[in-house]
Amino acid sequence: MPDAPPSPTSPAPPPGAPRVLIVDDDADIRSGLADVFTRAGFNAVAAGDAAAMDRVLEADGADLVVLDLMMPGEDGLSAARRLAARGWPPVIMLSALGDDADRIVGLEVGADDYLAKPCNPRELVARARAVLRRARDTDSKRGPAEAVRFAGFRFDFARRELLDPDGVLVTLSTGEFRLLRAFIERPQRVLSRDQLLDLAFSNDNEVFDRAVDVQVSRLRKKLERADIGELIRTVRGEGYMFTAKPQPG
Amino acid sequence: MPKRGWPIAAHLAALVAMALAAAYIVNIAAVVMLPPRPSDVMRGDKVLDAFVEAYAVAKAGRTPRSEGARWSIADQRPRTDRMPRPGKLLTRDLARRLDLDPGRVVVAFDPTPSDVVVFRVRREEMRVAREAERNAEDARRSAERPRGEDRRVEEIVIEDRRRDRADAPPRPPEPPEPPLFAPPPPGVVLMSGFLVAAELPDGRWLTMRQQSTAETIDWIARAALGIGATLAILLLLALLFARRLAAPIQRFADSARRVGVDPGEAPVREEGPRELRTAARAVNAMQARLRALVAERTEMLAAVAHDLRTPLMRMRLVAENADPALRDKLVKEAAEIDALVSSFIAFARDDPTREARVRLDLAALVQSLVDDRAEAAQPVTYEGPDRLVITGQALGLKRLVDNLVDNALKYGAVARVRVRQDGEYAVIEVADEGPGVPPAEREKVFRPFVRGETAGAQAAGAGLGLSAAREIARAHGGDVEIGDAQPRGALITVRLPV
Repeated sequence: MPDAPPSPTSPAPPPGAPRVLIVDDDADIRSGLADVFTRAGFNAVAAGDAAAMDRVLEADGADLVVLDLMMPGEDGLSAARRLAARGWPPVIMLSALGDDADRIVGLEVGADDYLAKPCNPRELVARARAVLRRARDTDSKRGPAEAVRFAGFRFDFARRELLDPDGVLVTLSTGEFRLLRAFIERPQRVLSRDQLLDLAFSNDNEVFDRAVDVQVSRLRKKLERADIGELIRTVRGEGYMFTAKPQPG
Repeated sequence: MPKRGWPIAAHLAALVAMALAAAYIVNIAAVVMLPPRPSDVMRGDKVLDAFVEAYAVAKAGRTPRSEGARWSIADQRPRTDRMPRPGKLLTRDLARRLDLDPGRVVVAFDPTPSDVVVFRVRREEMRVAREAERNAEDARRSAERPRGEDRRVEEIVIEDRRRDRADAPPRPPEPPEPPLFAPPPPGVVLMSGFLVAAELPDGRWLTMRQQSTAETIDWIARAALGIGATLAILLLLALLFARRLAAPIQRFADSARRVGVDPGEAPVREEGPRELRTAARAVNAMQARLRALVAERTEMLAAVAHDLRTPLMRMRLVAENADPALRDKLVKEAAEIDALVSSFIAFARDDPTREARVRLDLAALVQSLVDDRAEAAQPVTYEGPDRLVITGQALGLKRLVDNLVDNALKYGAVARVRVRQDGEYAVIEVADEGPGVPPAEREKVFRPFVRGETAGAQAAGAGLGLSAAREIARAHGGDVEIGDAQPRGALITVRLPV
């Protein structure tokens, strides 16, 4: 399938704009999403299947791939697995299967985020920004199904699962999950409220500093254990710091 | 709940053990309750001989001992009320031999008619008797032998003897060997269960009783030991055998259950008795069909989801370019159709038994769902402990709570979620402020595709939320019920075992 060019009606992308590759077998969705991304200031290109995706990546590369799950030929899961094995570029899965179980499968093969169709296009753009920011910030290659251990806890990024030292599954809300992920990716560093807002609150809703404090206190409660010291320390006037040292595993 | 029963192994073992025990109990009862074996029959003259010997020993101040009899020395004359009859003849005989007045001697016994009971001659006795006879014969012959060494003379003597034999009338035949069993010699009294006593010079009484009870006890003890040992060994064997028989059945049941829960499990091993192998084959065939069915269903659902949601996504993208009024309407419609599709697919693909059960913090689970809702500006609140650990399926329980909250928001505008522990149960309560559900409809709303027909509820959704919630709760061993909230509205209560 030929690469669909960005819609002619959209303005030219600014120079240095992040390059997003949209992979979907439905032409209308391809062009519609390209439109949305272009208007949001991305440099959007599109591909109709996994083979076309490979060609584009080889020729020009991309900063981010938005990948459909169900496509003729190689399916999205297997394509995402290959990209995750390479470690670049980050992937957002877009799928008609939106169950928690499907999402976990998608994240476990190494996708950086997972959205169910039909989604709010602006949410997709916001998630794309967050993924790019994270990728730039951590600048690390992430293999599939990453998990870390700290202070007896085990945190699984794909499953969004936190296992406490007793092996009990502690569910996190979306906000708590993002916050903990931001802390774990930047351990033993003071993070300001603005930084945390940026890293952990990627939705369009207006969020205030106060919301960060609320999330932090909730997360603290879930991480609170008698025999473990304070894992999230308040640094007066500056922000918060994650005191544990996460180990892969 | 299936009825609890003994495993087959226990049944078989108990059966065998009980059968054996019953058999042996009857035997023991027969031994104990039937009259004891009669005492050995003895010759009266020998008994008196033994007593006379012992009397001499007792007079010397010692207690006599001998096999087969109990000896005692007492101050009293032994009682003979229960003895069948005193033997007058033997009493007189014994008194004479001990040189005592017959009044100071007791002989009592069970007489045994000599023509009924044969007297048993011991082999040893016979051997001794025969040897003595042979010795006597030898002695006689050597006395007849000529003293000289003259062979001729000897030959003559032999000749003479031959002649003698030829001439002499035939010698009386040799007495026949005594048979093993023979009637007693004439004039001998046979007796059993006897008691013989005589007064000693110091006025005490020497008593001799035939020993029979001890022998009987000994015999019972030996029998009991044998029975006990046999019983123990047989019980052990029965247990081993029963376990051998039951183990494959147990394994079969286990793997059949696993296959029932997850058709992707390894097939049942075809082993054990023939009937079991047949059953295992049948289960495996069923499993293969199930697996094909599940794969087919999964594929079909994915295709349905894809085909329905792709146009919705297109619609959503078109809406982005439409004018704001039309956009909001389109977005709302798309969202409603999507909710329907979601509930159908979730209901159709959901198999509440498949997800793994883990230890999870139910309070954190409910709380995080409520937080997510609250962040999306929905009127949902949480009240409850910070931690309540149960065993369950994380995704299933999330879906359960999500469904209940959706329901509350749809029919009752708000959702007040409460978690508490009630004994063995963790309880989740979701209250709304809607019109509630009339008692008559409370069971109906749990059926699939039934929606509350309450006025004013232009409910979107397929009417699957509550039935799915109940299915999940029941898969956890709990249940979902509807009641009344205070001051108004419906109160949905979920009970889950801790």
